[in-house]
Amino acid sequence: MKKIWQIREFSTVVILVLEILFFTWWLWPDGNRSHPFLNAGNGVLILKYSAIYGIAAVGAAIVIISGGIDLAPGAVIALAGVVAAQLYVVQGWALGSSMTVGVLVGLASGLLTAALVVIVKLPPFIATLGVMGITRGIAFIITEGQYFDVSSRLLGGWRPFGLPADWVAPIIMVTLAIVFQILMTAFQWGRAVFAVGGNETAALFSGIAVNRVKTSVYVISGVLAAVSGVVLVLVQGQGKADLATGYELDIIASSVVGGASLAGGRGSVIGAVLGTLIFGVLRNALPQIPGATFYDRLIVGLVVIVIVVVDQLLLKKRG
Amino acid sequence: MRKYVLFLTLLLLASCSGAKGPESAAPAQGQRLRFAVMPKALEIPVFNYAKIGAERQAKEYGNVDILWNAPVTADQLKQKELLESYITQRVDGIAISALNGDFLTETINKAVDAGIPVVTWDSDAPKSKRVAFYGVDDFASGRIMGEETGRLLNGKGKVAIITSYGATNLQRRLDGIKEGLGKFPGLEIVEVFDIKEDSVRCAELIATGTKRYPDLAAWLSTGGWPIFTRNATTAIDPAKTKMISFDTIQPGLDLLREGKVTVLIGQKYFGWGSEAVKLLYDLKHGKNPPATIIDSGVDVVTKENVEDYAAKWKKMESGG
Repeated sequence: MKKIWQIREFSTVVILVLEILFFTWWLWPDGNRSHPFLNAGNGVLILKYSAIYGIAAVGAAIVIISGGIDLAPGAVIALAGVVAAQLYVVQGWALGSSMTVGVLVGLASGLLTAALVVIVKLPPFIATLGVMGITRGIAFIITEGQYFDVSSRLLGGWRPFGLPADWVAPIIMVTLAIVFQILMTAFQWGRAVFAVGGNETAALFSGIAVNRVKTSVYVISGVLAAVSGVVLVLVQGQGKADLATGYELDIIASSVVGGASLAGGRGSVIGAVLGTLIFGVLRNALPQIPGATFYDRLIVGLVVIVIVVVDQLLLKKRG
Repeated sequence: MRKYVLFLTLLLLASCSGAKGPESAAPAQGQRLRFAVMPKALEIPVFNYAKIGAERQAKEYGNVDILWNAPVTADQLKQKELLESYITQRVDGIAISALNGDFLTETINKAVDAGIPVVTWDSDAPKSKRVAFYGVDDFASGRIMGEETGRLLNGKGKVAIITSYGATNLQRRLDGIKEGLGKFPGLEIVEVFDIKEDSVRCAELIATGTKRYPDLAAWLSTGGWPIFTRNATTAIDPAKTKMISFDTIQPGLDLLREGKVTVLIGQKYFGWGSEAVKLLYDLKHGKNPPATIIDSGVDVVTKENVEDYAAKWKKMESGG
């Protein structure tokens, strides 16, 4: 049994808690004001927006662990949202069917990426760069620069099972993180993903169906990005082609901050989700500091580097 | 299993620890006021003057802190996230230039319902419960631009329009331009280009558009992208094609002096910040705005009046 501080996710949790404690202290209110950062509403808000990245980061982390990279999640988020919203608002489809087709968009984009990587043998960077352009392009063709107002058909808001809409994305994120963490650590498929990422040739000689594993990780990444897109549309009320532009880099950065190695073979799904929360807290708290506006990107960049360097040092010490 | 339990416990702690209920939005005696002032994006140069205006006004009041923030690029979702975070932070007032008014309506209403006054500036969210809007009458200013173009071109020729789809104010300017141009049957709109609030893309589009339509009589722009950089208009031959654009920041005035640009329509950039802060301050002290829509008016700047305009600008920029 590993000691708790030897678990990789433990250090990410410690960083997150230290970050929260720091902002709690820094933003301590004067007089009788309520705390602007440390309140339940703000906690839900951080989780709600982090979940858009976090759901997709689950898939992106699995791809990174397998030794690949996926640059398409931001564009797939937008396309899935646009397709679902178009079917629901313009074509008048039922909500469930529209959203299902939206998720299937992710399946299609994942299969396309997998075909380019496995059959055409393109490097994942190039294949997913192409898929990113194709999916974002289709989203723009569908919308022609306009947007589909889902909220106009969802009057009174979306309350699945009577839950507030704001809770839905975090619940989905946490559920997916737990399910895929178990799949990655306790099932043969997960171990095969680590093996392919660690040493593809060795994995092949040990009888692992490498192409099947690669196909599965890109399909999962596509589907989860699409789930994120559909949730985004339902929670935010609009399908629009330029939503989530550039989010792929934030998603990859979250996975790396959460312990994934871009060389493959190492990483964690829960670590990636914790990584999105670390960024979510920064995104939420930094704008509250007067005068910090033009410094926050610098701070985010420094945080990424410091966390990864500390992780490397700890890894050497553990090894 | 233990690590899952640990993770969930800490996640719960992280999100809910020390939760306090919201308190009254009314300022206590002697308490400083925190106003969030949010442009569409930090990378758009004109908004820096709104920042100067807001900070100058805050300094004048003495007890106001300005939280100036926005997404770096025009990212509607990040703007919404930021707006929501200001609600949970219980700021004392919000002044926002909406990237997409309809997208933000629900969130603005949430702020107002929570007792946080919201005013919009530059770009409105007309369907929301915002208390007031300060800015140009976009449709009218667009129409002025269209009519001015018709007169400059003697009512005939091909024109191309540059805009960025999605923002309500730019759409209204575009509608106004089309109405103004429509009064001249000899004018033909060959294309409306969407540059997605990106000055770099603007330079590229002007270059390719000029090649594609060599007989173009004028470029019209609903925003200041063509004049934000000196190089965006280099592809245009001013003897053949006129450039008429919104916004009057530098190097726009220099381009006007050099004849690369013919007409600039200026907005009240400093006023966006200072007037928005004034509106919020008054609201916090029980004084309602004079109207829901406060038309700031526009400045029409040409080669003839550019020096007067530049002198006034310098004074404003230095805080005068």
